[in-house]
Amino acid sequence: MGYKITAKENLSVIDFFMEVEAPHVARSWKPGQFIVLIVDEKGERVPMSVYYADKDTGRVGMFIRRHGVTTFKLWYEKQVGDELLSVAGPLGKPIEVKHYGNVVFAADAVCAQAECYATLKAMKEAGNYTIAIHSFETKDHVYPEKFLSKPVADEFYITTEDGSVGRKGHYLDVLKELIEQDKVDIVFAGGKLGSLKKLAELTRPYGIPTITTVRQIMVDGTGMCGSCRILYDGEIKFACRDGPMFYAHKVDWDDVIRRDSRFAEQQAFARERYLAKLREKGVI
Amino acid sequence: MAVRRKLIKERVPTPEVSVEERVKSFVEVNLGYDFASAVKEAERCLQCPPEYAPCIKGCPVHINIPGFIGKLVEYRDDPNKAVKEALRVIWNDNTLPAVTGRVCPQEEQCEAPCVMNKVGDPINIGKLERFVADYARKNNIEDQLLEEMKPAVCGKGRVAVVGAGPAGLTCAGELAKLGYDVTIFEALHKPGGVLIYGIPEFRLPKEILDKEIEKLRKLGVEIKLDHVVGKTVTLEELLEEYDAVFIGTGAGTPKLLNIPGILLDRIYSANEFLTRVNLMKAYLFPEYDEPIAIGKKTIVIGAGNTAMDAARSALRLGSEVTIAYRRGREDMTARIEEIQHAEEEGVKFEFFLNPVEFIGDENGRVKAVKFEKMRPLEERDKRGKRKIVGTGEYVTLEADTVIIAIGLEPNRIISEEATGLKTNPDGTLVVDENLMTSIPGVFAGGDAIRGEATVILAMGDGKRAAKAICDYIEKKRAKANA
Ligand SMILES: Cc1cc2nc3c(=O)[nH]c(=O)nc-3n(C[C@H](O)[C@H](O)[C@H](O)COP(=O)(O)OP(=O)(O)OC[C@H]3O[C@@H](n4cnc5c(N)ncnc54)[C@H](O)[C@@H]3O)c2cc1C
Ligand SMILES: Cc1cc2nc3c(=O)[nH]c(=O)nc-3n(C[C@H](O)[C@H](O)[C@H](O)COP(=O)(O)OP(=O)(O)OC[C@H]3O[C@@H](n4cnc5c(N)ncnc54)[C@H](O)[C@@H]3O)c2cc1C
Ligand code: SF4
Ligand code: SF4
Ligand code: FES
Repeated sequence: MGYKITAKENLSVIDFFMEVEAPHVARSWKPGQFIVLIVDEKGERVPMSVYYADKDTGRVGMFIRRHGVTTFKLWYEKQVGDELLSVAGPLGKPIEVKHYGNVVFAADAVCAQAECYATLKAMKEAGNYTIAIHSFETKDHVYPEKFLSKPVADEFYITTEDGSVGRKGHYLDVLKELIEQDKVDIVFAGGKLGSLKKLAELTRPYGIPTITTVRQIMVDGTGMCGSCRILYDGEIKFACRDGPMFYAHKVDWDDVIRRDSRFAEQQAFARERYLAKLREKGVI
Repeated sequence: MAVRRKLIKERVPTPEVSVEERVKSFVEVNLGYDFASAVKEAERCLQCPPEYAPCIKGCPVHINIPGFIGKLVEYRDDPNKAVKEALRVIWNDNTLPAVTGRVCPQEEQCEAPCVMNKVGDPINIGKLERFVADYARKNNIEDQLLEEMKPAVCGKGRVAVVGAGPAGLTCAGELAKLGYDVTIFEALHKPGGVLIYGIPEFRLPKEILDKEIEKLRKLGVEIKLDHVVGKTVTLEELLEEYDAVFIGTGAGTPKLLNIPGILLDRIYSANEFLTRVNLMKAYLFPEYDEPIAIGKKTIVIGAGNTAMDAARSALRLGSEVTIAYRRGREDMTARIEEIQHAEEEGVKFEFFLNPVEFIGDENGRVKAVKFEKMRPLEERDKRGKRKIVGTGEYVTLEADTVIIAIGLEPNRIISEEATGLKTNPDGTLVVDENLMTSIPGVFAGGDAIRGEATVILAMGDGKRAAKAICDYIEKKRAKANA
């Protein structure tokens, strides 16, 4: 037992790349699906998007943001060769990979940067014209070239809020132009929930199908607890089981956004406690 | 046994941790018998002949109850021998007595028809069963017995068991004893099903489960954790690799109330609450990473075992707790012992209240629950409960935490993926009298076919299915060889 970490690399001031050996997951993963991992005996179950899942090597790659205790542990305590307690999946429903025409993937946070590559790779293989838009805050957040979706994108954009790399602005600005040029048949997106809400409003008037990750706080990830419940077209759905990709126009975004910080107090407390320990040990 | 015994009307009591102590921690509440008191209780049993003994009929798996109780008295001078022989009798029908002795609703099953009820208290069968199992575990008696029971033959075939709850664990154990190679596929990172994620430590210490799992491993059962069948592997793939499959995936999907406010913060399903607290040990946060947010006033909606477990866990996390149930006191479905414990610990009960709306504050956190008052009718429903109707009157109770425990239904991950698998409208799997599903070679049992039921019924199914699987594989082999 145990799932070995086979590679790890820093991506930016806040994000990193990690690869684990999880052949049971790699063999059956499809774009749209996620995994759940546990760092150690005392760890929680955290969902992660998949950057790639290689059937031949049995390895699964992901991008991770140093958010809080779990992800700090992954960064500071777990090195290549160490093992994770649990890697389960693939979970959730795959997206439909078929010919749509011009497919956009828009990403403005760590999970989505991974999904962008994974999704467009499959979409390109299915004969679509693929457009990737990676948005970052500033140049310190931008990933090294080899981790961007360029190889799987027919058209490729980077934006930063301050214009320090690529275009100044956000994927919403690029997308608006693409839509006005009539270049968009379907939009996939993930990342910041606030942007996804705006994205839904942007594409709604044009009637462009918009499918986005609805990231909610999860426990089991298999439909057993309802932690990840959302209102979708007025009905209760579980993001882990019925999603995590949903038509953005039917999602009640305000509740989704609020529920993402349900445990903010506890998380902040645990984060500070952990950082204090790191400081004590002289790690940081 | 020729000696005629005197009728002793009252049970030998079992000690319990004081209320003050237990509301502060997750230690087990009931401490059980020691050998001397177990023998004393065992002596009260009238040793009804097995062919008549009503207690045996009351137990869903028909344990030879006078048989095992008799061994405790017969070998009273040699505790190890007494327990070993008693355990041997129990194991004929039940491989998890440490669990069932603690969680069976004995008052409705084995103890209900006990003849002693006519003159006094029924024999405390549950606690005796638990005593035998606990004593055996602590004194390595299980291992000895297990050694004697090791299968003479193995390699009779390969079976995949899906789900490591009581149904799956029992099925796997029985098949291993019959000489089959068994692999269990479990979605979570720990085996046990509800026993590990739902039922709290104060009712079922987790070390018991660890030991049960170790027993299975000794019998050669392999357990693959983190495998969600229907996602990680499909049923079809399992059928290609194994001679038969048993599905014991339980009923783990919580029913939620689709009423206004259901998305407010601090409204949990009992499953979310209990999984965070028990499986993920949020009660030890921040030592453990799992968070739980709980306020000072919790309302638990429902009145089954799940509701009691949630209520008593919330209490231990420092909240005041009220259970609100839409029916009356006598309609509560939890075990009597749990209701009593909850009351002793200070859980309050409100009856005939049906929730209609959750009211939130400006931060989206629940602050009250609006209920409609209900009224019972004389007429009874299928389950014998009085029907209820709304009165049109409403009451609002303050609450900063709400736990919804109104029931569970089967998880549909497998049935959605394996389209040949027939289900009933409530999501339970359709099975025939041999517990075989609509797909040949695929069997099922436990909550997956019954909806929310009990541990002992799940185990009974696991055992029956093991026999049916054995027959199925043998027949298939015979056909292939003919
Ligand atoms: C479908 C899905 C895919 C995801 N993909 C990625 C990914 O590819 N890379 C990545 O870095 N993160 C991803 N996340 C979020 C990831 O689960 C959190 O980063 C992780 O739980 C943070 O834990 P922490 O202890 O480090 O931080 P914490 O301090 O616990 O939390 C920081 C933030 O992470 C989120 N979060 C915390 N706990 C959970 C939880 N149990 N479930 C979901 N979100 C939580 C919340 O937004 C929270 O505010 C994904 C979440 C979901 C639901
Ligand atoms: C809080 C609570 C308290 C209870 N208290 C009592 C009590 O006191 N007495 C009593 O008799 N009964 C009690 N019950 C009911 C009892 O626990 C169940 O009837 C019993 O556990 C059912 O056993 P099972 O093996 O069928 O399913 P479960 O115990 O539900 O186990 C099913 C297992 O299958 C796994 N699984 C599900 N889907 C998949 C999949 N696709 N792939 C792989 N694995 C999967 C699950 O993770 C789980 O581990 C209680 C239930 C709850 C929720
Ligand atoms: S298994 Fe349950 S019902 Fe049967 S004898 Fe034991 S406690 Fe009683
Ligand atoms: S019915 Fe009661 S007295 Fe008779 S054998 Fe069973 S437990 Fe003993
Ligand atoms: S995470 Fe538990 S139901 Fe989705």
